[in-house]
Amino acid sequence: MRPCQSGNFKIKSVRATKYKKKMVDKSTKAARGTVQCENTNINLLKANDFVADIIKKEMAKTSTLLINITSSAGSGKTTLMQKTAEKLKDKITMAVMVGDLETERDAIRIRETGIQALQIVTGGICHLEAQMVHQVLDQFDLENIDLLFIENVGNLVCPSSFDLGEDYRVTLMATTEGDDKPKKYPKMFLTSDMMLVSKADLLPYVPFSVEAVTKDAHEVNHELEVIQISALSGEGVDEWCDWLLDKIAQKKG
Amino acid sequence: MHETSIVNSIMRTLEHEFEAEKLKRLRAIHLKVGILSNIEPRLLHNAYSAYHLTNPGYFHVELHVEATSLKIKCETCDHITDVQNYRFICDNCKMPSKNVIQGEEMLIHKVEFED
Repeated sequence: MRPCQSGNFKIKSVRATKYKKKMVDKSTKAARGTVQCENTNINLLKANDFVADIIKKEMAKTSTLLINITSSAGSGKTTLMQKTAEKLKDKITMAVMVGDLETERDAIRIRETGIQALQIVTGGICHLEAQMVHQVLDQFDLENIDLLFIENVGNLVCPSSFDLGEDYRVTLMATTEGDDKPKKYPKMFLTSDMMLVSKADLLPYVPFSVEAVTKDAHEVNHELEVIQISALSGEGVDEWCDWLLDKIAQKKG
Repeated sequence: MHETSIVNSIMRTLEHEFEAEKLKRLRAIHLKVGILSNIEPRLLHNAYSAYHLTNPGYFHVELHVEATSLKIKCETCDHITDVQNYRFICDNCKMPSKNVIQGEEMLIHKVEFED
C-alpha cells in the first residue's frame, strides 16, 4: 500500500472529502429506515481459492506433483532447485516456475541445469497468487512433467495465505536466518508440510540450533517434517530427493 | 499482508456475489479476520480509505473488522485451548493439535443493505 506517495493523491483526497459530505446526508436519512442484513461467510480470498481448485484439477489430470517452495529471501530456494534438477533430471521430468518482483535471474540459473524454467515477474507484488500460476500453466507440457515446482517470492508472510493448488508446501529455513523464525511467522510453518533447514554446511559457523528450530516449528505444527540439507555439500539432498520421488509415486498412484 | 489487494478482493467478491442494483444499497461490510490471517485491521481500514480514492462509489459503505483470537480444539480430549505464544498444544492433555477452530478466518461474515 502506498498512500501519500504522489501529489496526485492529495488532489483526489479533496475530491473524496466532497463525496463524504454528500454521503453523510444520505446515511443520516437511511438510519431512520430499516436495514437489511445478510449473513454471509465468504472467504476474502475466494477468488484465489477458486483458481487454486482449477489448478488442482489440471494437475490431477496429468498426475503432476505440484510443490510450492517458500522461504525468506536468500535462503537458498534457487540453489536447491538447481541441485534437485541435477540429481533428478535423469530419473524424472521436472520443471520450475519462479516468482520474483523483478528480473529473470532465477529462471536463467535454473535453466542452466537443463530443465524448463519460467519466470513470473510480479512487478512489486510480494507473493504469487493462483491466478498468476494458472496463467503460465499452459506454457508447460504437463502431460510429460512429473514434478512441477513453484518457487514463490522470498517472503514468509503473504505467500502463506495464498493457496496455489499445490500438493505440498515446503519451507526453507536457512541456518543464517536464526533459529527463532517459526514462532515469528507461524502461519507459514502451520501451513507447510516440510521444513528444510538449509545451508546446513554453515552450522559450525553460525549460532543456530537445529534442535531449537525444530522444537519451535513443532510447537506450531507437530506434523511438519524436517530435513537438514545443504545444496552445496550435498548433505540431506538424497533424503530430500527420495521424499520427492516417493510423493511423485503416490501421486501417480 | 497485502491489505490493498485484500480490499480489492473483498470488493470484487461482493460485486460477484450481489447484483449491481443491490450493491447500490450496500451500507456496511463486516469482516472477521483471525490473528493467523496476517491481516492487520488498522492497515485494512487505511487500505479501504485509499480504495475510495479510486472507487468513490463505495465511499458511504462502512467497514467493520472484527479480529478473532486463536483457539484450537483438541482431537484427543475435545478441550478448547486459547493458543498463547503460538504453542499449538492442548492445555488439558498436553497433546499437540493443528485443529484450529478460530483465528484463521478471513471472512466477509455480514453485509448490510439499505431497505
